[in-house]
Amino acid sequence: MKSPFNFLRISADDQRIKNLKRLSLFKRLTARELRELDELLHERSYQKDEVIFDEGDTGLGLFIILSGRVKIISSHAALQQLAPEFGVGDYFGELALFEESHRTARAVALEPTQVLALFRTEFVSLLERDRGIGVKLLFDLSRTVVRRSRKLLMNQPHLPTV
Amino acid sequence: MRNEPQPGILTWGVTIVITCLILYLFERVLWLVVPGLLTLVGYYCLQPLVRTLVRTGLKHRTAVKVVTGLLFLVTCLGVILLLSLASARAAGWKAVTAHYVQGGLDFMGKTEARLEQKLPLLKRSALVQSTPTNLDAASEQFVEKYLGGLLVQIIYWLPSLLLVPYLTYFMLQDGNRLKKHVIRSVPNAFFEKTLLLFDRVDRSLRSFLIGMMKLTFLDTTCLGLGLWLLGISHSFLLGLIAAVLAWVPYAGSAVGCALVVMVAATDFPNDLATIYGCLVLFICIRILDDFVFLPLTVGRSLRFHPVLSVSMLFLGAAVAGLAGLLLVLPVLGVVAVITETLRQILTDERLRKRYRHARQLQRTMTGIG
Repeated sequence: MKSPFNFLRISADDQRIKNLKRLSLFKRLTARELRELDELLHERSYQKDEVIFDEGDTGLGLFIILSGRVKIISSHAALQQLAPEFGVGDYFGELALFEESHRTARAVALEPTQVLALFRTEFVSLLERDRGIGVKLLFDLSRTVVRRSRKLLMNQPHLPTV
Repeated sequence: MRNEPQPGILTWGVTIVITCLILYLFERVLWLVVPGLLTLVGYYCLQPLVRTLVRTGLKHRTAVKVVTGLLFLVTCLGVILLLSLASARAAGWKAVTAHYVQGGLDFMGKTEARLEQKLPLLKRSALVQSTPTNLDAASEQFVEKYLGGLLVQIIYWLPSLLLVPYLTYFMLQDGNRLKKHVIRSVPNAFFEKTLLLFDRVDRSLRSFLIGMMKLTFLDTTCLGLGLWLLGISHSFLLGLIAAVLAWVPYAGSAVGCALVVMVAATDFPNDLATIYGCLVLFICIRILDDFVFLPLTVGRSLRFHPVLSVSMLFLGAAVAGLAGLLLVLPVLGVVAVITETLRQILTDERLRKRYRHARQLQRTMTGIG
């Protein structure tokens, strides 16, 4: 039976899976797991200087950069001091996957940027139905959160070096 | 988290008007709405099965084909069985219904006589004296006028049920892709909120439809078992009918109760203990339903203040008859979620500013600005 929604099908499905595999967050996933995850990823394009999310917004998901660069600007001194900038393969907004809280910074595209968005509730439902993918993703996400927290702590002058 | 303001009168007004419009349209294309609803139920019930098959190594497309193929077989068998049953026994059903209605009326007459014996004051009541004649007329009218028409309608609708596996196939195969396609057309500023909207609608529908199926199963089993133990004929069919009638809040339960008592009174005309036993059983199951089954299955999805629910039931019945009664609360629930999320999006100054900024950038890029 030929689907009437065939026009929606991305022709280069396999190429897309290969591209996903190159991203650091997904490198541990198998092709089958990537296909399942791909169903949940939303591709967005931002122009130069366009705001991706703003400080104070309710965080709803994580963004992974496919192309371009993103600058993080924050009113929090510690974050502002770091002034992180993200490039291809990096991801940001990961805390929104774990809790529904305010964004602590603004993310702005420094050049025309393509990102993949992973929405929290879809991520949670994926964790519930496929623990294999869940463990692999959570491991990488936790490592990143730890690394970023450590970096933040080490940059705080009044805190002891960790 | 920012505290979002509660929906105001205007939002509720818009919600109610849209709900009525949708019900009006639904009533016009009811032959399509019924398979559509069953498709949604099928989609939500079969989605976990497809995912399980995918995890075992099947491709998504193959898994969908296997699952919907099975659904198609089951639907075909069901439709053929129901059609042959309906055509063979339609005449008999009329007589059976009349028989049970008469049994119910006899029971009412006897109860009245007993009440009159114990409370002589009731003898003078004009209402009591006129009741049997009115009910007799009503029962004759119901059997003659409505039952036949209802059966013809059911037979007329049955073939449209064959649409269910076909539509379910495309929902399972392309539903997610279609959703992504729609979201792709939303401006970046509203993207996250739109995802939230889709998620809320999806969750409300899923928990309501799946919950209602589970609730119907539990109600049917408990009531059927109880009636069977009391020795009532067609106990599980009666349980199923009462469980389906309970989909209409408040009024449905009352009709279901009357039905159970009517059958019990016909089967055991002189055994008051069994008849009252059925009544007690029905009330116990309603209580169990409200305090145990409902929170376990449907939860708090699509539940409103009783005053709003009852008002909407009247409105739904006025706009779309029986279909309106059955559909008004789920439609109201989904429309309420959509209007509330849209209100949040449209009144969020930050999002609108971001949208204007993105458009300004676009104009600058293309040299219009």
